[in-house]
Amino acid sequence: MIEVSLARPADRVHDVCRRYAPDRENLIPALQEVQETEGFLSPEAVDAVAGYFRLSPNNVYGVATFYAQFRYRPPGRHCLKICQGTACHVQGSGVLLDAAQRTLGIRSGETTVDGDFGLEELACLGSCALAPAVVLDGVVHARQTPKKLNTLLEKARS
Amino acid sequence: MKEITLTIDGQPVRVDGGASVLEAAKALGIEVPSICSHPDLPAYGACRMCVVEIEGVRGFPTACTTPAADGMVVRTESETLRRLRENTLELMMSGHPNACLVCDYRAVCEKHKPTPSKAGTSTRCGLCGNRSECDLREIVLATPGRNLGLPTIYSHKKVERDDPFIERDHNLCILCGLCWRICDKIHGQPAISIVRRGKEARIAASFDRSWVDSGCTFCGACVDICPTGTISDRFAKWHGHPDNKILSTCMLCPEGCSFYEMTENNQVVATRMTGFAAEDRLCALGRFAYPQLLQDRDRINRPLLRESGELIPVSQEEAVDALGAALDGFRDGSFLFLGNDTELRETKHLYRSLATDVLKGKYHFMAAGSGAADLPETIAEKIENGTIRAVLSAGDLLPAELRERLAFLGVIDAFPSALSASADVVLPASILAETTGTFRDAAGTVKGVGPALPAPAHARPEWHWVRDLAQRLGADDWRRYRYAPDVTRTIGDDPAPAPLRTRPRDSVKDALPARFRGHLLADRVPALRAFGLPFTPPEATATEKRGFLIRRKEEIAPNFHSFLVEAPEIARYARPGQFIMVMAAETSERVPFTLTDWDPENGTILFIIEETGRSSRELCALRAGERIAHVSGPLGAPLDLTGANTVALAGGCYGIGAIYPFAKALHKAGKRVFVVLEASSHFLIYFEDELREFCEAIYFTTRDGSMGRRGAVHDVLVELLQSDDKRPDAMAAIGCTLMMQMATEATRPWSDVPLHVALNPIMIDGTGMCGACRVSVGGETSFACVDGPFFDGHEVDWAELASRRGAFVQVEVEAMPQNGTLAAHACRH
Repeated sequence: MIEVSLARPADRVHDVCRRYAPDRENLIPALQEVQETEGFLSPEAVDAVAGYFRLSPNNVYGVATFYAQFRYRPPGRHCLKICQGTACHVQGSGVLLDAAQRTLGIRSGETTVDGDFGLEELACLGSCALAPAVVLDGVVHARQTPKKLNTLLEKARS
Repeated sequence: MKEITLTIDGQPVRVDGGASVLEAAKALGIEVPSICSHPDLPAYGACRMCVVEIEGVRGFPTACTTPAADGMVVRTESETLRRLRENTLELMMSGHPNACLVCDYRAVCEKHKPTPSKAGTSTRCGLCGNRSECDLREIVLATPGRNLGLPTIYSHKKVERDDPFIERDHNLCILCGLCWRICDKIHGQPAISIVRRGKEARIAASFDRSWVDSGCTFCGACVDICPTGTISDRFAKWHGHPDNKILSTCMLCPEGCSFYEMTENNQVVATRMTGFAAEDRLCALGRFAYPQLLQDRDRINRPLLRESGELIPVSQEEAVDALGAALDGFRDGSFLFLGNDTELRETKHLYRSLATDVLKGKYHFMAAGSGAADLPETIAEKIENGTIRAVLSAGDLLPAELRERLAFLGVIDAFPSALSASADVVLPASILAETTGTFRDAAGTVKGVGPALPAPAHARPEWHWVRDLAQRLGADDWRRYRYAPDVTRTIGDDPAPAPLRTRPRDSVKDALPARFRGHLLADRVPALRAFGLPFTPPEATATEKRGFLIRRKEEIAPNFHSFLVEAPEIARYARPGQFIMVMAAETSERVPFTLTDWDPENGTILFIIEETGRSSRELCALRAGERIAHVSGPLGAPLDLTGANTVALAGGCYGIGAIYPFAKALHKAGKRVFVVLEASSHFLIYFEDELREFCEAIYFTTRDGSMGRRGAVHDVLVELLQSDDKRPDAMAAIGCTLMMQMATEATRPWSDVPLHVALNPIMIDGTGMCGACRVSVGGETSFACVDGPFFDGHEVDWAELASRRGAFVQVEVEAMPQNGTLAAHACRH
């Protein structure tokens, strides 16, 4: 079941922003919540946030792009995060990332054309004992290899 | 505010509470180096150059962000501070191309080439339009030792040329933030910001939008404040530091903003805000289009008179006489003067008097931005029904169908139009900065205009024409109007021009007047089309597939583009040392380029173009699959070096590609080849692998020591000459004139070993006809195109060559394209 919202994105964003006082220190929490509800920060969303906080969209975009957590394109239906922390790195997470990029035909930070998968890198998942680890749709998968990862992705797709 | 006293470098100083340590130091005349601080902006603390020591304070605070306090004891100089600043500078410069600053030959190079080369990308000061006003360069040059030991990390970002008027080269940016901070201060909501972080950080609008859509009003403050040349004014960029500035008033719209006209050799190259504040703002027209209008290449510069159906140039006196004689016959109320509402008061006043007092006719001033189509109905009717039979129009202000109804038409204008082409008399007008007097703005305030700068050829201020015309018509007392103030005194209380709906400086969208003197501004200044201003669509040109197909094209190093082109006949006959003449389009300049390689079987030739001016930019804007209009060659005398057994080949810049055919031929003939390459920095070396294939050894020299030996090719050539086992019996050097000259001087003691140099004088036809490429070799005149291009360097008159090469420096600057690129597409390969 796909949820459909008839509200214009700018209105939805404005509704989110209204929960915060229009002070600069609330900008980041507001952006986070907008991303949560919208899935990503679209130009319209950034413009709407800027309007609410009486800032220039260029400023807001500057602040947002400083942080790795914000996305500017719609996320995929499935979200694959590959840990690149020290332990995972030692256990070959680089190979894993290469494999995922090849299989999906995208680079990290991007979403496949069909919208099925989004690929992201993580600094450290904190699950070092499970290295190399990936997170698919919020579920941690331990000790991955390119082959295992491919099976995982195929399963998710079907 | 309460005053406080502190001590800086042992000297007591009293300042207002709230002043920063940096300001307090400045009050004492102590210069603490800083880049990101600006008197118009709050402290930012980004560049970290202004670090100081303060007693009782841990570490090294930045003077700009530290408030001065009572009793504070500050030291601005110490060994530790010196080292800290040097390290900071070194880090900053590691991301900013700096080879020229550490080059041992900087002084002689800058003397040799006083103006920077107009390169596509500034990979060093010698190729940077900002060289004469660069804060960074000044600070580095003032640092003793100039110890920039860290290797230059060149980030290979494409120059952004897609926006009107402004171009951005992020390879030069040091992220001082001055641009977006001044934008924030002036406009409240900055049109730009620093986006992303770390090495990805750069100045941009949100979502990398064009600045046209980012809220930017093109006031130019960011261009003026940028200390590095990252953000530059495409038109002013290569003109160097203006030699004068004139406080004047913009007359392109009724706002009449005050500004500075920045001039060089009495030509306006840019305009600037009078200060960095909201009230000083300028619009895209006043800030960027103004100088381009003045320097328009199609200005009317001679009076023209219709004789036997043709407009022919005449003297000023003849023109006034003819106009006077003609208008004398229309004193019965059938004369109309059409002028512009936003004009000098003096000009408007005399036009008014001429029309009503002298000729007993009518006048009408057209509102700012209006054209022929906006002529009031009432006037059109009077022309239709023959009440008005003679018109003097100060611009393109009359529809063609009404022109046909007139018995006489005179035009006073600066730019040609269909209307002026149909006139009986045309007078060339001085405009804007070329005039002096007073201007009344829409708010009613009277402002000064001028002093006047020279106008093209025979153009004169309009009120001068009108005064002489009135005298010709019998108004003898008009003789008293000798200077502008003579007219100003008689004006009295004239009406203010009608304001525009939106002030152009508030918005670039739907606010800029579309016309000036009835001419579409976007026709005269094509960059304005980006703001949606109307323009006359160009006539469709035939897209016939003619010319030489570019098979492959790539930028192999910043500014160096290699072209693989189909040219079977050239490929068949080419020999090492020969060159070709290339024309990008049918109307382009002919430019010579040395052949790098050719393949008779596939019918292709390879050559390398350094993007360093108008014509090379035009070529470099072409892409694979497109065609070059003309490639002729092979030209010049081939040079056969295979008679020698050991050959040293030296190449710099474009010469790296040019020595390739020699290496290949010599290798094939079984000779020993030593290749010596030169570049200002490591990232400008190319063709390394290709050359390695054909030589025994390859030596690198860089000016900053970032690759191979720090120095120039002649250092290695001398070493080879001195060696026992590698001594060449012939040498060739190809590169810039200075590089070849230095190689010549250094190898003079071994003049028994010939040093073949490829001379690069200005060349026009390349076949020995024009004589432009005349050079003196061994006391005799030769032509580089047919006798050369190779000559023995030891015989060349280098001084003459250098001076002849510099003959068109000014014209070369004026010819730089103003449309981003000349080609239809944006230059983001």
